[in-house]
Formats: sequence, structure tokens, C-alpha cells
Amino acid sequence: MILPIASHTFREAIRKKILHVLIGLGIFIMAISPVIPTTDEPNARVKIIFVIFFQVVMLLCIVGVILLSATSLPYEIEDRTIYGILSKPISRLKIVIGKIGGFALLSGVLLTIFGLLNMIAVWWAASSLPEGQKSILKARNEFKASQFSIEGKLHHVHGGIAWIEGGRSGIASWNFSNLKKEYNNKTPLEVELNVKVESIRGNVNHIPLVIGIEDLSGDKKKTEILSGRADEPLIIRIDPEITKDGAIHVTVFPILEMDCIGVTQEGVKVFSIQEGFVFNYGKALIISFLKFLLIIVIAVMGSTYLSAPVSIVSALVIFSCGHILDFIKDFSLLIQHGDGHEHLPSVMKNPSVFLVYTNYLIKKPLEWLSFFLPDFKRFDSLKFLLKGINIPLEDIGAIFGYTALYAGACILISSVVFKRREFF
Amino acid sequence: MSNLAVRIEGLTKVYQYFWRRKNTPALTNLNLNIERGEIFGLLGPNGSGKTTTVKLLLGLLFPTSGKSWLLGYPSSDLKIKSKIGFLPEESYLYRFLNAEEILDFYGKFFHIPRKERKERIDRLIQYVGLNPYRKRHLSQYSKGMLRRIGLAQAIINDPELVILDEPTSGLDPIGSHEMKELILDFKRRGKTVVLCSHLLADVQNICDRVAILNKGVLQVAGSVKNLLSKKDVVEILVKNFSDADIHAMEDFIKERNGEVLSVNHPSSTLEELFVSIIQRR
Repeated sequence: MILPIASHTFREAIRKKILHVLIGLGIFIMAISPVIPTTDEPNARVKIIFVIFFQVVMLLCIVGVILLSATSLPYEIEDRTIYGILSKPISRLKIVIGKIGGFALLSGVLLTIFGLLNMIAVWWAASSLPEGQKSILKARNEFKASQFSIEGKLHHVHGGIAWIEGGRSGIASWNFSNLKKEYNNKTPLEVELNVKVESIRGNVNHIPLVIGIEDLSGDKKKTEILSGRADEPLIIRIDPEITKDGAIHVTVFPILEMDCIGVTQEGVKVFSIQEGFVFNYGKALIISFLKFLLIIVIAVMGSTYLSAPVSIVSALVIFSCGHILDFIKDFSLLIQHGDGHEHLPSVMKNPSVFLVYTNYLIKKPLEWLSFFLPDFKRFDSLKFLLKGINIPLEDIGAIFGYTALYAGACILISSVVFKRREFF
Repeated sequence: MSNLAVRIEGLTKVYQYFWRRKNTPALTNLNLNIERGEIFGLLGPNGSGKTTTVKLLLGLLFPTSGKSWLLGYPSSDLKIKSKIGFLPEESYLYRFLNAEEILDFYGKFFHIPRKERKERIDRLIQYVGLNPYRKRHLSQYSKGMLRRIGLAQAIINDPELVILDEPTSGLDPIGSHEMKELILDFKRRGKTVVLCSHLLADVQNICDRVAILNKGVLQVAGSVKNLLSKKDVVEILVKNFSDADIHAMEDFIKERNGEVLSVNHPSSTLEELFVSIIQRR
């Protein structure tokens, strides 16, 4: 019963001119993405191809899917083709689910086609990169430091960054004791080092650093002298012998006394390298599909009661607000602490005038809104791909659970609303 | 099994408007029984409540009060829809599909196996006379063709009860004549037909019983024969009778205290003439 509605919805949707226009625009943007000017960063071209697909082309697809899914039911009600379906032995819930299924199928097809095109473009752009820069095409598991410390003299701390001077006066040190749990000895590991650099030698782009990697007992050790740059991470392969115990110790200091480096706990990360880019990319597309699915469910829910234009606007507003939930929450918190702000005029600080109104007219509705709105920032898979980090299956599970819960609630509401709807 | 195809008890529908606007009663306390196997005409002027009644029976609207049963089951029961066919007032169909596709789409709702569905679609397309146009998109169909494919979708499930809302609306006399022939064929096959129309001549020719609604209130219901017959007037149709014979007959009637109201040659209807001319060519 659901299948005929879904396949019919899909067939109807792919005939819509608005979809053709948006697909054409998407292909055009993807086609020009390899020639858009970028920075000098070696893998900037690959990154921009990723960004254009995941942020621009996908936005176009989502807008297209919203326009179609928010108007499908209202148009059927308006031109009364819904009578033909409602007079058949099919429940209204199944009609709603069928509609959602049809648009989900459309999203799946769009994501598959565009995803394949994007992957080909990424491979093509990455083929010219030097071997050391191809980490973006990997699916690396990330390990964060369990302990971070400065041995010796700390020069100063500014903005959460600890600065140390060269000449062994201070040594930054990171411990990674959690490698054994997830790491298997067959997979190579690499250390990625991101530091800030400064020097009183003048305007220098890079400074020599001593990087030491050893096991916790200190028996096995690897020391390298490398040139540290402010805008480029240093990547060092680790000898599997060192990581046999599942724990390593990393130390860094500048060689020259005139040089300084700024470090944080996040400045050094260890990655296990896996050649699963395609699989990782597939996981990113699955997350994107779940995002499409959620907005489709929301758009169809609105369309069970609202007219086509109102339904489109409401779905677009929800989609936009779902991306700025943090801002909405922060804004409501700002109102909470507004009475403490010295710059507010005294009359506004009067609890009986300003706070009461802002509390009930702005803060409370914003809090409720942030509670009910879908959190679309959860579905950001681009951050993983840009860093070449493996998307954890737990993350996908959590996103799937979130989507299932939210979509389930929306379908329930849609069902109740649509069941009670009359067709004059 | 109930002998009634449709049973309506105290069905009332009041359209409730938002905010201070006056509520409009569309149907008031309708009581009606329609027996299986008959063609029943629901008559009335525009806005009399015919379409509202049909929509209430099909669950497109919810009654303010009252109940209705179709083929012995509450009309709200989803299962009963598998035994019902519905042709709406206009042919509200998906214009991007062709005749085969639209029938296949609707046929899927009745769990008809693929092979049987295909056979049934072929048969129905032949039945409604659209075989040469079966691959043509509905957007290229004339109004008459749309009505015919609309009728085909209404009977794709071989329903026991067919509800037709203004089936001849927008049809030319030939199309209208063919539609009436199809409806009479339903009756021959034992189907119950509920026919909503304001074209009285159409209804008179084919309906067994009728109900007349006005402003949402049932005015009269009964068999066409009973409702239209004039009990105190007798009509005798005679063939091969001379003028002298007619005068003799008039004298005979007067002798028996009867009154001759009119003596004339019966004429056929304009529809009959139109159909005979068009079909001859």
C-alpha cells in the first residue's frame, strides 16, 4: 500500500521543472568547483570540492526536496486528485508514509548521483597531490592526548595557548595511553602536530623543531628534527615497535632559543591510518541522507495541514533555525544574564519592567523553540572528510537514533492531523 | 448479509467556520436506505447536499451527527472501501500518466495480482472505449475521455457499490448516452449504483428510485415510476390507427364520462434524435 504511493510520488517529483533547474544548477556548480581560485595550501583544491558539494550543492538539493515535499499533499488536495486515493482502502497514515518514502527515494537517488560525481572530482583533484598530503583521502581514527604538560619553563599563556621558548628551556609533552583499546598492530599510526610558531629572528615562516616519540618505558624512541610551519600540520609516521604497548609519549620543543611555539592539548593527535575513504564517504552520505529524511518528514508534516506556500516557508524556517540552534540557546542565555550587564540602562535592569517581558516574550519561547527544533548541526559529516577522519559508527548510530525519534514523533503528529482533516 | 447497500440514519453536516462566521448546515437529518442491485438517483439543485452526502459516505467529510453504513458495515470502516467504486464530480486524475498507468496505480490499492491487474486493465480500457488512446497521457484527453477513464478507475476493483457524482457532467450527448448505457450495464451485472445528478432527464431514464434534496433536507424519496405516475390519467399508445378510429375512440371515452386531455403523435427526445443521427454517420 505504501509502495504504490511512494513510487508514484517519486515519479511525479522527478517530472517537476523546479527539480530539473536545481539539479542543473548543482551540476554546473560542481563542474566549476575544480577551477575556483583557492589558497596555496596543497590540498585546498580537494577541500573546496568537498565544501562545494556538501554545503552548496546539498543545500540546493535540500531546497528542491523541501519545495516538492512541502507542496505535494497541498497540491493534491487543491486539485482534488487526493479524492481518488482517499476513496480507496488505504489509511491516511500510509498516504503520509508513502509520500515520505517517495521523497526519501528521490533524495537517495540525488545523493547517489551527486555523491559519485563528487567522489570522482575529489579523486581527480587528489591524484596530483604529493603522497604526504593525501591524508584527506584516508579514513583515520583519531586518538586524543590523555595527558598534556609542559616540562621546564613556560614562557607565557595567552588565549588558552601555552608558549615555550627554544633551547630546551621548556618541552611540551603529550601522553597517549588509550591506543591499545582501539588500535590493532597491523594498522600504521601517525602523529599530527599543529603548533603556533613565532620567532624574534624576524618574519620567519618555519622554525626547526625537535620531535620525540617514545613508548612509556622509554626503551624505544624515535627523534626527528622537522621544520614547523604555522599553517601546515606536521605528520610523522610511527614505528609499530614503539606503539606495541598501546601507549606513547610525544615531546616537542624548538631548537633555537630565539624561537617560540604555542601548544595546546589538542595540538597533537594520533591517527590510525585506514584506506577506507570510499567507505567513509559512504558513511558521510548516509548521514546526509538522514538529514534529508528528517527535513522531508518535517515538510510533509506541515503539508498535512498547511497550504503549499505556508508549508514551504515553515519548512525552510525550521531548516534554517535547525542550523542555528546554538545561537538561539546562547541568545536565550544572554537574556538570562542581561540584568548583570552594566551597559543596560537602569530602567531596563528593573526586574518588573524589562526582565519580566524579555523572560516571557523572548527567553521562554526561544528556550522552547530550541528544545523542539531539530538540531541539524548533528548531521555535519563534512568536518570528518576535510580532516580525513573516520566517521565513528557510534556517531552514525546516534544520528540514526535521533532521526528515528524525531521523525517518529513528526509522523505521529502528521497522522493525527491528517486523519482529522476534511476535504471539502 | 444486509440487503441494504446504503443505510443512512440522521446524517447531519454543519460546516463550522472559524471566528464569528455563521455556521452553514449542508445536510440536515438525512434518513435513506438504498437496496442492493438498484440504481438510485440523488437529485437536487446545486448546493442541495448531494456531494456532501457522498463525501460523508466516503469519509472525505466527518458527520456532525448521524451514522451511515455501506454494504452492512460502518462507512468509516476502511475495509469496506475495497467493495466501493467512486467517480468524483470532475475527473481528478494524474495528468502525467496514461490510461494504463493510472489504472495500474489505482489497481495496486486492491492487492490485485500483477497478471490479473493487467488483464483487468485491458478489459476496462476496452469496456470504456479508450483502447486506441491507452498510451496517451491524460493531459491530452478530452473531457469525455477523462470521464470514461475516471469511470474505469472507479470499477477497477469490480465493486459491489458504485457511487457516481455527476457522471454525465461535461459530456456531449453521445458521451452521455454511452455513460448511461454503462450504468445500465452495471445494474445488469448486479451492482448497486448511487447516482448524483441535477440533470433530471438522465436520472429519469435509468434510475429505479430517486431522492430529491433541497438545501440539505430530503424532500421526497421513492421509485421513479411511483413518483412520476399520474394515477387519474391513462395513456394508451396505439399504432396504425386512422383519424376516424380516433374520433370513434374519443366518442367512446366521452360516453363513459372520461375526458380526453390530448391526442397527438408521440415524439422522440432530442437526445434520441441526436444519437441516432450521429451513430448513423
